[in-house]
Amino acid sequence: MASQPHSLSYVGCNFLRQRLVLSTLSGRPVKIRKIRAKEENPGLRDFEASFIRLIDKVTNGSRIEINQTGTTLYYQPGLLYGGVLEHDCSPHRSIGYYLESLLCLAPFMKHPLKIVLRGVTNDQVDPSVDVLKATALPLLKKFGIDGEGFELKITRRGMPPKGGGEVTFACPVRKVLQPIQSTDPGKIKRIRGTAYSVRVSPQIANRIVDSARSILNKFIPDIYIYTDHMKGTSSGKSPGFGLSLVAETTNGTFLGAELASNPQGQGTAVLPEELGLNCAKLLLEEIYRGGCVDSTNQSLVLLLMTLGQQDVSKVLLGPLSPYTIEFLRHLRSFFQIMFKIETKPSHEELQGGEKVLMTCVGIGFSNLSKTIK
Amino acid sequence: MEEKDRKKHRKKHSGPKADKKRKRHLNDLGLGDDEDARKRNPKAFAVQSAVRMARTFHRTQDLKTKKHHIPVVDRTPLEPPPVVVVVVGPPKVGKSTLIKCLIRNFTRQKLIEIRGPVTIVSGKRRRLTIIECGCDINTMIDLAKIADLVLMLIDASFGFEMETFEFLNICQVHGFPKIMGVLTHLDSFKNNKQLKKTKKRLKHRFWTEVYPGAKLFYLSGMVHGEYQKQEIHNLGRFISVMKFRPLTWQTSHPYVLADRMEDLTNPEDVRVNPKCDRKVSIYGYLRGAYLKNQSQIHMPGVGDFTVSDVSFLPDPCALPEQQKKRSLNEKDKLIYAPLSGVGGVVYDKDAVYIDLGGSHAHQDEESRALRPNRELVQSLISTHSTIDVKMASSKVSLFMDSKPLGSEDVENQEFVMPKEEKQIDLKTGRVRRKAVFEEENDNGASGEEEGQDEEMSEDEMDGSEDGDGDDEGESDKEVPGQDLGLRSAKRVKREETTEEAGMELPAFADSDDDLEMSSGEEGETDLDESREDKEQRENHNLDHRLGKKVVPTTDSGNCTAEEASDSEAEEDEDGGDDIENLLKEEEEYGEENDLSADTAGALKWKEDLTQKAAEAFLRQHQSAPNLRKLVYGTVAEDADEEDDAHEELGGLFHVSRPDKESKQKANALDCSKFPVETPQDWDLDEVMNSIRDCFVTGKWEADKDAAKLLKEDEELYGDFEDLETGAVHKGKPAGSEGEEEDKEGKEPKAEEEKNKRMDKKRKLKAMFDAEYDEGDATYFDDLKEEMQKQAQLNRAEFEDQDDESRVQYEGFRPGMYVRIEIENIPCEFVLNFDPHYPIILGGLGNSEGNVGYVQLRLKKHRWYKKILKTRDPIIFSLGWRRFQTIPMYYIEDHNGRHRLLKYSPQHMHCGATFWGKDYLDLQVYNHVPDFRIAATGVVLDLDKSITVVKKLKLTGFPFKIYKNTSFIKGMFNSPLEVAKFEGAAIRTVSGIRGQIKKALRKPEGAFRATFEDKLLMSDIVFMRTWYPVSIPAFYNPVTSLLKPAGEKDTWTGMKTTGQLRHELGIRLKQNKDSLYKPIVREKKHFNKLHIPKALQKALPFKNKPKNHEKKAKPTKDQWRPAVIREPHEKKISALLTALGTVHSYKIKKAKLNHRQHLKDYLKRKHKEEEEKFKRQKEAKKKLFRIMGQKEKKRQKSSLKGSREREK
Repeated sequence: MASQPHSLSYVGCNFLRQRLVLSTLSGRPVKIRKIRAKEENPGLRDFEASFIRLIDKVTNGSRIEINQTGTTLYYQPGLLYGGVLEHDCSPHRSIGYYLESLLCLAPFMKHPLKIVLRGVTNDQVDPSVDVLKATALPLLKKFGIDGEGFELKITRRGMPPKGGGEVTFACPVRKVLQPIQSTDPGKIKRIRGTAYSVRVSPQIANRIVDSARSILNKFIPDIYIYTDHMKGTSSGKSPGFGLSLVAETTNGTFLGAELASNPQGQGTAVLPEELGLNCAKLLLEEIYRGGCVDSTNQSLVLLLMTLGQQDVSKVLLGPLSPYTIEFLRHLRSFFQIMFKIETKPSHEELQGGEKVLMTCVGIGFSNLSKTIK
Repeated sequence: MEEKDRKKHRKKHSGPKADKKRKRHLNDLGLGDDEDARKRNPKAFAVQSAVRMARTFHRTQDLKTKKHHIPVVDRTPLEPPPVVVVVVGPPKVGKSTLIKCLIRNFTRQKLIEIRGPVTIVSGKRRRLTIIECGCDINTMIDLAKIADLVLMLIDASFGFEMETFEFLNICQVHGFPKIMGVLTHLDSFKNNKQLKKTKKRLKHRFWTEVYPGAKLFYLSGMVHGEYQKQEIHNLGRFISVMKFRPLTWQTSHPYVLADRMEDLTNPEDVRVNPKCDRKVSIYGYLRGAYLKNQSQIHMPGVGDFTVSDVSFLPDPCALPEQQKKRSLNEKDKLIYAPLSGVGGVVYDKDAVYIDLGGSHAHQDEESRALRPNRELVQSLISTHSTIDVKMASSKVSLFMDSKPLGSEDVENQEFVMPKEEKQIDLKTGRVRRKAVFEEENDNGASGEEEGQDEEMSEDEMDGSEDGDGDDEGESDKEVPGQDLGLRSAKRVKREETTEEAGMELPAFADSDDDLEMSSGEEGETDLDESREDKEQRENHNLDHRLGKKVVPTTDSGNCTAEEASDSEAEEDEDGGDDIENLLKEEEEYGEENDLSADTAGALKWKEDLTQKAAEAFLRQHQSAPNLRKLVYGTVAEDADEEDDAHEELGGLFHVSRPDKESKQKANALDCSKFPVETPQDWDLDEVMNSIRDCFVTGKWEADKDAAKLLKEDEELYGDFEDLETGAVHKGKPAGSEGEEEDKEGKEPKAEEEKNKRMDKKRKLKAMFDAEYDEGDATYFDDLKEEMQKQAQLNRAEFEDQDDESRVQYEGFRPGMYVRIEIENIPCEFVLNFDPHYPIILGGLGNSEGNVGYVQLRLKKHRWYKKILKTRDPIIFSLGWRRFQTIPMYYIEDHNGRHRLLKYSPQHMHCGATFWGKDYLDLQVYNHVPDFRIAATGVVLDLDKSITVVKKLKLTGFPFKIYKNTSFIKGMFNSPLEVAKFEGAAIRTVSGIRGQIKKALRKPEGAFRATFEDKLLMSDIVFMRTWYPVSIPAFYNPVTSLLKPAGEKDTWTGMKTTGQLRHELGIRLKQNKDSLYKPIVREKKHFNKLHIPKALQKALPFKNKPKNHEKKAKPTKDQWRPAVIREPHEKKISALLTALGTVHSYKIKKAKLNHRQHLKDYLKRKHKEEEEKFKRQKEAKKKLFRIMGQKEKKRQKSSLKGSREREK
């Protein structure tokens, strides 16, 4: 009689996080088949299993079924519960991999989430914790997720391959989100950054800073790059260094870029100067792409727009990343929402590449699980 | 004569007029003292106490803020759906009559019987959907959730009835819709005074329920079975001007009040299995919020379903087009009530229905005249040319392509229509006729189907004839909703064409997108104009104009159906043509410009203008829709085309068709980073320059550049004189530039000038506002303004798009007339369809389908007779849903523990928890004769696990007692159990507290415990534990709409154990111990109080027990010897006694005497005193009299004197 919302079915392990996150938020079960079915080592990897465990931790009453070989996953979402938690992330992926999904889920929990994540804080694959702290958090603030209990603290740094970093993430709960209209990114007024080095010479950070500044100084004088050298237990288990840069505009847009050294024992050693230069160039590239949200957080902003009240939200983005495009498709299948996509050629010559204006009407999502007292 | 009779004018001595006169008089005398008390006596109004002043200020502010509502974004659509007017009341109060009268009032049509909702146009801006609410509690609850306005009918001759109060209580929980009371049966009062009294009494009772001052309408009496025309007219006026505050529940959920239902199940399936699940389509206005396709809905009384398809149809009861006139035209006064059988020709998605007015169409000429809608049909019938020809020639064929409308029942008819088909409902024997237009079916594929269909229809014809024979006498009264049982046999299917349309549709959308883009470009250029400096501005002006010119060409190129269906290549050519046209135009324009321009040197920018414009156009034309295609893949394209798209994007977007590449990517790395594929060389100057303006150090737009702004300000404020130095600053004469430019005769310049002026004006206005308005802008005002802005944006964003594409982005917006297809509906819904019961489709939010444990705060209704028992099934109404479930009542202890209660408290809130689906509003009700609403409450929490505990006391008995230690047995069964409870607190019945220490080896489960005192063997030791209760997972939706007609209000779910026991006659076996027995009290005998000697010694004397032993008889030696007197001594003593007696007598007498004297004296004295007083009084009286007379005299003389003086 009362029909359960029928489950969605997908193939392959790509975009696993998106699917699980959207499934949790929409309440629709999801089935993923053929996860690395044809490979020598089939099934879910460690880091994915760890991610599923994390999802299980933050929810209450979700049902997860994985077959013997790990090639099929059925997920029936429960209720987002939150609370004070701890999670040991797999060192194969950095904490950013897990944190990105938590950022999507955290505002809709029953109890405010306060979680300690342990693992790799910075690596070359995923957005690092530093960048997320500098770009994603201000983004959430635009939607009205703000307050005392909203923070991301890096207590220990851990580099691949062994990790050993620790991050505390706390996020308050909201019943509804505000719609946003950010179509004007503004102009970049300052550039900030962190050059970190663990278990290597503290001089390296300074060398990175100098090289990065040499490029960026041509554009703007207001640059400050912190050097963050961690010692002892807070330096994790593996050596490494890296740089993350964030450009802030007059309208409160944050564009980030980052680069980390090769993990110990993999690839050739990287010169700090080179890394600094390349990272600065990456930031310029990001600025060229432009938009009100940087490329890593595109999906986050689109999700929060979708989950807003039934009002029009608008955001100007740079070129859509493949991840975002898939995310848009998933949004349509989970929430039946379609974005109006308009390309805006850069009307002025010197403002970077083509932009995309995304417009949508929120689905009127409200956090029902939040307890009334 | 008359003058004699006339009364003399009497001056007024009181009242406002007299006061005024007196005041004037006093003013004339110069005594007018109320000119201004504040001025006259400033001290009295000085601040006495700052605290008090602060308090009064606070109070006024509080009162002010109390009036504020939380501002909400106004999401009402531009063309709102009809207002739902629910007519409620107990039976026989006149509900149907009122509805009929209202309809008659608005549309001049007379409905015989009303089934289901009736939609009418009541004014230029308003439509009403009127629906009658029966007395079934399910109907009441459903309708209370969707009502905008409730007309609450009250029988004045009887007074309030329970139904009224029930409905009011239901309303209170689900947000209070506007309620208007209507008193009927007022003509039964013969006595006018009685009538007045009753009105007043009812009004005040009504006010206490709704709010003081709520409108109560009086319908004084009936004339020929109808209410008085004027009164109904007034009521109608009230309804059509009423304003409604949006209710949260209604604005946050989409819902449809169905005004029509069709069964779409394959007839073959029904034939094979008459009980198979059905597919139905439901029609109605969408209200509340946006509805998305494929979303979850709930049908109260049926269950949860997923929408399988939604489409919007042209409005069957549209508002009139904008007109200047105040009143409505006769033809605009539409009425739409398919369930009641009203309406004209209706075009469905794949069929056309014509309403012929039932079998009485010809007998009832007058009523036909009343229905203007019928004329079309009648004319169709009277002309004997084939209907196909008619339809083809008229606009109808055009509509065939478009989406359908609501359907109409084609009633039994004697006419032989050219291509009609009769369909028979096997159940009721009612016949429907459908007009078939074969000519338009020009494809062979459907021909076959038709052949089959025709066979079927022949069968049906037979059936219909039979049906005719049976049911000739049948009238309109047969429920038309029964047509649902109809096999949806033959429809004029145009599958091919619809498929084509389906193919074309995305193309439409794309072309629209183009349009959008170009319009977007327009807007952008508009914006740019203000920003850029002159040259650029001119440049963009041109662009802008070009954009405008382009629009119509693209429009004509892409928007007609034929062209859209052409291949993509053609479209490309079209695009090419467009560009060519554009170029041509551009050239022309350039020439014009050249001609007009005097100064040719400044026109360097024009050189590659055409090229630029063309390029820009191409880019927009191609990239925009492709990006959308890329993301959503709405267009079914050929592979090579897609490759083109890929190339066009120039490596910007690297995602790919979902089918092929994503498959390869299926197991790729899951990473949100967007790596740079082709890094640019940032050492090059050009590359660096490309982002130069992204920084604050770069160039700013015109409207933000500080230098520019400063300059503008200077212009704005014009000339001023520096008073200190005496220098006169002259603003640049604004006209001078303009004049120069005028000489040049350039249009853009003029426009620019205009813009400048507008800018100036805007700025001035902003400054004025800042100075005068924003001084007292509060937080509330800001919030309100923000909401207003959002509302405007919401309206404006998709306004310029056509519905097809709008629906994709927004979903179906409220106000649309939609057709919703739902599959897997139980067959009973169709078979037992009764239009008198409303069908509501309520949209569900994303997490509202979650099943879990729901916690509530709940209070038994004060009018409900019993208290509620834990584990008794009860029906909840929560959100859209009505369901039966088994609640457990609990109360929260001070330490946050949820302790189970056996019964809900009588007058207190308690918690309840049950297993089910939730939303936040709640209503509990039960089918009991007296008052059907058992409790009301609010949902606190939804969770997947919950802890409610009940108290469990474990008892044990001491078997060995040492001083404070005892060995207890019988509480546990094993040492393991004891180990679990080590350290737990225990207690005896007498209140001695203790603790479990350790298990003993023997006997099993015994343990050692210590207490604060020595136990007795007769003591019982117990331990309080808390045992979690499991909540039964019972969720039973109330499927009242599935019951057969006439039994819909008899739905019974699970019965309570009490009910079952009662029905089966099973007596409860009672525990013997809990039976009451007469109390027999034995007389108590207490032992003597014994105080230890040591204690006795220590006691003070007064507290020492005084238990003297009885004295033994005094011994002889202890006796005193008797004295024997001499006779002489005897005499003396006798004499002395006598003398003493005499003396004492004397004294006694003297005392008495003295007392008497005193008494007399006092009496005398008192008398004298009294007399004296009397005398004095007399004297005083005399004196005063004299004084009074004197006074009078003096007064008289003084009055006389004054009068004389006046004269």
